[in-house]
Amino acid sequence: MTEFLAQHTPTLTHWLYLSTLLFSIGLYGLLTRRNAVGILMAVELMLNSAALNFVVFNRFCAPATVDGQIMAIFVIAAAAAEVVVGMAIFVALYRYRGTVDVNAMDTMKD
Amino acid sequence: MLMLPEIIVVLTAGVVLCLDLFLTERSRVILAPVTLLGLALGFAALLVTPQTGDLLGGRFGMDPIAWWFKVIFLIAGFVTVILSMDLLDGRAAHRMRGIGFRGEYYTILLSTIVGMMFLISARETITLYVSLETATIPLFVLTAWRRDHVQSGEAGLKYVIIGALASAFILYGLSILYGLTGQTSIVGMSAKLADVPRPAFWLAAAMLMTGVGFKLTIVPFHMWAADVYEGAPAPVTAYLSVASKAAGLAFMFQVFYRIFGSELAGWTPLIAAFAAVTMSLGNLVAIVQDNIKRFMAFSAISQAGYLILGFLGPADNGVPAMLFYMLVYILSNLAVFACIVWYSNETGRERIEEYRGLSLTNPIMALGMMIALFSLAGIPPLSGFVGKFFLFSIAAKAGYNWLVAVAAVNSTISLFYYLRIVRQMYIEPIYEGAGTLPVRYTVAATVGLLSLAVALMGVIPYFYETIHAQTITWLASLIG
Repeated sequence: MTEFLAQHTPTLTHWLYLSTLLFSIGLYGLLTRRNAVGILMAVELMLNSAALNFVVFNRFCAPATVDGQIMAIFVIAAAAAEVVVGMAIFVALYRYRGTVDVNAMDTMKD
Repeated sequence: MLMLPEIIVVLTAGVVLCLDLFLTERSRVILAPVTLLGLALGFAALLVTPQTGDLLGGRFGMDPIAWWFKVIFLIAGFVTVILSMDLLDGRAAHRMRGIGFRGEYYTILLSTIVGMMFLISARETITLYVSLETATIPLFVLTAWRRDHVQSGEAGLKYVIIGALASAFILYGLSILYGLTGQTSIVGMSAKLADVPRPAFWLAAAMLMTGVGFKLTIVPFHMWAADVYEGAPAPVTAYLSVASKAAGLAFMFQVFYRIFGSELAGWTPLIAAFAAVTMSLGNLVAIVQDNIKRFMAFSAISQAGYLILGFLGPADNGVPAMLFYMLVYILSNLAVFACIVWYSNETGRERIEEYRGLSLTNPIMALGMMIALFSLAGIPPLSGFVGKFFLFSIAAKAGYNWLVAVAAVNSTISLFYYLRIVRQMYIEPIYEGAGTLPVRYTVAATVGLLSLAVALMGVIPYFYETIHAQTITWLASLIG
């Protein structure tokens, strides 16, 4: 088993397939979910696919430096900040609307 | 020394937050003056800061373009604090429910200002991304500031989702660029871009363009703007419409001139198409708007369409023209919003037809608002006309005569709908029994100075010539 895994390590292309897939799933989720929290999770997927890209490119394209890994850490931190703010807004909204269904968010349409 | 303005603004944010802890509710009125003082000190520090140089191994850079952008951000922040303070201190005749928490408000406002200041000085992808997030995340909070107000929360929800989506696109684009070049420094990236595989390069460019489009409200990425502008508290809308747009332009400068510098020539047809669609749609939809904040959102969208005309020409013409127009735009827009915020504070009215008779009750405020609206429409000799003239002439020189025609038609349309407000103020009958509304001296001074600046900057060539001369020297060092 270990020998098989050692001979079949994923290459750059495989990782890129994975990150593109994650990004696409995130985009699909963002467009189809109706619950705002679900949408926020979808956006997280998209941000994480980009972070994955940075780590993978660091490993395969510029192994002498750690810039990509540092970037990934900052991406995680910024994404966390974004989620905190998003969830705070959703909770405040839920308290007097009783819903965070994005289809109900149409009070400002003419 | 180079980073002194940013350091002062960050320290002010800390001071305001700590003061807020120790003050009683009544004495919190001093928080706004403290914030203003911090911003003024930051501005003074900016004046004595050398205009060129870099810090931290070239990760933080200063040049005339960054300098002018910082001037824009500090002015926008300063005026926004002045506009916010009557509302937050409870001096408004028409109280808004669920608004307060002054210390937190000013701290968050200061942190978005400092994020924008770092954004234009960033010379590294990591710094660029982190400062972009520092500039935008606080804006989500400010938009949803009225806690028990349905529309404010809804605007915050829309803004946080769209903002996160835009940063996801930007980040993915940056990650592809990193993979292609193996560099995170902008100079290193730009040097290696000439010989990278084209399809991957275009994918990254498209993703960055999408993200920037959301920030700068370029059609078809504009749809969030109307709801967010309408739902946010009026001073926050003022800040969003000027500073957030200026930050979008700053990011576009970073991406287009610093990273893609040599590739820009291939972009012009795309930018021309974006500009034409953006200004037409913004103008046509603005005609039918009823709420003045929503109306200003579409007006701001069409202004973004004019603004990106500057990317059509060579950088040494485009950069000063866009910077000058941005400066004119923020001054005019802030003057309009100062009147909007003041009128909404005094009467709670936000619909366009509710402005009727303003010239009879408060002639000076009506005059200031009219000058600013005419500047936005581009009537000579106001500065909006001069700014548009430079941008249109760049498009004409680049051979886009059809686009200049579209832009001219759009300017005429925009004059029509800006005149709708002027008509309400000057021609329509006054509200029965309406007396003169009180104007606080801070608001009066703001409107007066801004409309004076709007009128003078078109006549006195000093500003444009200074911007032009300073940016030319910098661009010469970059290109040559």
